[in-house]
Amino acid sequence: MTDQLTTPAAGASTSSRRPLGRLIGTLFRDVRDAPARLALSLFLSFLATFASVALMGVSAWLLSRAAEHPPVLYLEVAAVLVRALGISRGVFRYLERLVGHDVALRMQGALRLETYDHLARTTLLGSRRGDLLSRVIADVEAIQDLVVRIWIPFAAAALVITATSTGIAMLSPGSAIVLLASAILAGLVVPALAQKASQKADSQAVPLRGELAAATHELARTTADLVAYGADTAALDKLAAIDAQLRQVEERASWVRGIAAASQAFAAGAAVIAALIIGGQQVAEGTLPPVMLAVLVLTPLALHEAMTSLTESAQRYTRAKVALVRVHEVVYAPPVGRGDVPGEAAVVADPSLTLTNVSAGWPGQSPLMTGFNLDIRPGERVALVGPSGVGKTTLAATILGLIPARAGTIDVRGRLGYLAQDAHIFATTIAENVRLGNPRASDEDVNAALARAGLALEPTRMLGELGSAVSGGEARRIALARLFVDDYQVLILDEPSEHLDALTAGVLLDDIWATTTDRPMLVITHDAAVIERCDRSVRLGE
Amino acid sequence: MAGVGVGCTTAILTIVQAWLLSFSVADVFATHTVATVPMAAAGLAAVFAAKGLLAWANQWLANRTSAAVKSQLRMDVLRARVSRPVDPDANTGGLITLVTQGLDALDGYYAKYLPQLLLAATVPLIIGVAILTSDLLSAVIVAFCLPLIPVFMALVGWTTEARTKRRWRTQTRLANHFADLVLGLPTLQVFGRAKAQAAGLRKSEDANRRETMGTLRISFLSALVLELLATLSVAVVAVTIGFRVLAGGVDLRTALFVLILAPEAFLPVRQVGVHFHDSQDGIAAADAAFQLIDGPAGAESAAGAASADGVVASAPSDRSRRAFRLELAGLGHSYAGGEPVLQGLDLAIAPGEIVALTGPSGGGKTTALNAVMGFIAPTEGQVLVDGRPLAERDLTEWRTHVAWVGQNPGMISGTVADNVRLGYPHATELACREALDTAGGVDIPLAQSVGDDGEGVSAGERRRIAMARALLRITMGRAKLLLLDEPTAGLDADSEATLLKGLRQLGTSALVVSHRPAVIAEADRVVEVTA
Repeated sequence: MTDQLTTPAAGASTSSRRPLGRLIGTLFRDVRDAPARLALSLFLSFLATFASVALMGVSAWLLSRAAEHPPVLYLEVAAVLVRALGISRGVFRYLERLVGHDVALRMQGALRLETYDHLARTTLLGSRRGDLLSRVIADVEAIQDLVVRIWIPFAAAALVITATSTGIAMLSPGSAIVLLASAILAGLVVPALAQKASQKADSQAVPLRGELAAATHELARTTADLVAYGADTAALDKLAAIDAQLRQVEERASWVRGIAAASQAFAAGAAVIAALIIGGQQVAEGTLPPVMLAVLVLTPLALHEAMTSLTESAQRYTRAKVALVRVHEVVYAPPVGRGDVPGEAAVVADPSLTLTNVSAGWPGQSPLMTGFNLDIRPGERVALVGPSGVGKTTLAATILGLIPARAGTIDVRGRLGYLAQDAHIFATTIAENVRLGNPRASDEDVNAALARAGLALEPTRMLGELGSAVSGGEARRIALARLFVDDYQVLILDEPSEHLDALTAGVLLDDIWATTTDRPMLVITHDAAVIERCDRSVRLGE
Repeated sequence: MAGVGVGCTTAILTIVQAWLLSFSVADVFATHTVATVPMAAAGLAAVFAAKGLLAWANQWLANRTSAAVKSQLRMDVLRARVSRPVDPDANTGGLITLVTQGLDALDGYYAKYLPQLLLAATVPLIIGVAILTSDLLSAVIVAFCLPLIPVFMALVGWTTEARTKRRWRTQTRLANHFADLVLGLPTLQVFGRAKAQAAGLRKSEDANRRETMGTLRISFLSALVLELLATLSVAVVAVTIGFRVLAGGVDLRTALFVLILAPEAFLPVRQVGVHFHDSQDGIAAADAAFQLIDGPAGAESAAGAASADGVVASAPSDRSRRAFRLELAGLGHSYAGGEPVLQGLDLAIAPGEIVALTGPSGGGKTTALNAVMGFIAPTEGQVLVDGRPLAERDLTEWRTHVAWVGQNPGMISGTVADNVRLGYPHATELACREALDTAGGVDIPLAQSVGDDGEGVSAGERRRIAMARALLRITMGRAKLLLLDEPTAGLDADSEATLLKGLRQLGTSALVVSHRPAVIAEADRVVEVTA
């Protein structure tokens, strides 16, 4: 499992510039004025940082000029400027953060829509991509980091370095060159090298985190069995070993950060010392007004202080890129099947399901079955049995029209309804959950469907995330009510008794059987009790 | 402690740096010669080198603390989970999130926030004293503004707390809409409604952005206050001292010294503000961890955390198969202050006796088995083994005498054989095969792979694998008691009845939860359990 999760990322990291660029291009198209918004926040960020650098420079000039004891008038402008810079830095930073987060959220929203649109177009029933779904949810959030914590700070740093160096160059070209070099080193080269160096550690951390999650999942799902059979200590030891490995990897990353922080301090020192030596020489030679020496020496201090957080930003880039490349794989993977089931079928007098010589299989893979025949009349219940992986759910997806039949004909008379064993219960009211079966259903229709599904719950009750507020049996009944709220005349039940206790399953099946006497029904199951209830059974895979 | 040392040293180095710079610049300014520059440059080189090394040390120390705390909490949380094997409140998803990303938020607390907090407590003080020795008025300005920062931040946080919380809730709900839709996609597709939801998603994303921005507008306010106060005080110090230089009250060297130091006094405090959000996430993660470690209020766990002698089960030397008498005396239980799920159950099982438990769903049959396994400490009555309370026994050792099959058996990922072998780790392939055949799993290949959550094996197969597991513990291990809970999925009872018949020949006692006539017929006694 974990290997599958990480290999594409690791493989893609070398050539990820293009996919990332393509993804960003799409988002720029989707978000109105994205480049303009980004430019604005970038400019504000530049102003905020530049204000603190300028504050130091102008203050240094103010003190030096004051030491020459000119009339007060000569200092008034500088004094006002210093106060203004003192205020503007905070204000610009506040505005920059708002504009930056706004554009980041817009891009995240666009990326979510893009991702959703694509996933909605590809058939997911029976594709065993549950892990992909939960991963993509977390991965799209990386776009926020990319914008707010990576793009804006780096671009703003580049601008500030350019502006400050240009300003200093007018006073002392030699000093400006050292300043530019040291700032590029501390602000761009060191973070980039640190990112490269810790990339290895980070990419090792990803599969380890996967292992940790998988081992925790197993421990949590098998706790009672592990404890009962004295295997809990071994399981905990395994987790402790993964934790130790993870700790080692993180320690390496922190070494790199430490070296980067030290290098930045060295670069700052070099810039300040060079400014003192070069500027001092210039003053002695008379090529630099003495009042400018303090400006020359103190400005690098303020500039370098603004660079210290860039190493962390660069390291974030590694994670953000890996996540976004994975999203890219999802968004641009060729769709499989057709996503939604085809439109509504008319109500017929004698619903039936007839399969003639059908070959079914996942597109792009070899067919799981060929020459399959089935004929189900109204009121007839047929059990579809066979070992796991033989293609029972794939056949259901084919009958539903979610993926094309590879050969043969499928004749469905009447509207098809499908009851999944793991039907998702949405975090909304029970009524809205039921309305999934018929968006136009009135409150009375919903109540009737709930009653028919044997559910005595308040329709307006909100369900928590993943329907955690209802029991497994209730969830199954809510899913069933979706089929009763409209004319689903042909039914496919997928493992209706799975994950339910025998009593609950028995009562549920009694209710289903009692309320669907006139409909043809295909029941996918390997539960002997369910097979017994059916009129006949068809075995796959023999 | 090391962090404070690093902080103090950094502060002293900063003062030396400011002194060297101001002295040298003022000297060049006054004399127009570079006489003092070489000395100052050499001194500065040493100072910056030392600062670099300290930055490195600080990073390393911070990470070490954070890593140690994280590992400790991670393992404590997992041990806590194991100590409550049948915790009804257990949430697997939450546990995984906490153990992986959740605890990483502690990095923000231990590696960033806490070191900065230490610096904020030491550096401004040292630098303040340095400023004080040179210029009283500047020191007063700094001393006045510095405490205003936490005061104003607290004020902003306090006045906006309720609004932030309310917005936060809406925002979280909207943010989860995407997750809900994506996870529900297969269901939406079956009803032909997936594509139609895109419009709703667009709306909720827009609403989510607006709500989030609303929250941020408020929560960034405290950062604004921080930046404003810090930068404005530096500006005020600069302007004030500038006019005093002009008036001749202060010399340039002192003025520059104060100007360089003033922002340094505010820097650690500003960094605390920057990392404040990180720390909040970290604290939330730590809270979640402690909640899991402490467990639900009032729910005591009977199971001591996995003790070191957990390997007794696999020690082949100890094959004592002494039969014992099991007694449940007035057993009752209620979870975390709720309604009792089991009340006053009295039951004795003689060696070799097979007892069936029947009764309505929710009647406490499973709870009774859990109490016998020591998964829970019953709130009423007790379990006695040969007259001795179970609570006094080493539970890990006790469990080696019991073979247990739960309602919904857990499967470790690996192969079917790996799962059967959980019953007796040293069992041969042949022994596993025999056990599986006896448990009715003739057609389950031992080499068949079992994925996460038992993927690849059906509920029925899982049940048979779990029964084979239990069987191995009886035939090869030293278990003399079988606890068989009723399977959650409807299955044929024949194989269970066959299993019980076999047990009788081995002289093993059994406590079986079942409604099936075939199973009940095998029992010596039937006990009805009602809550």
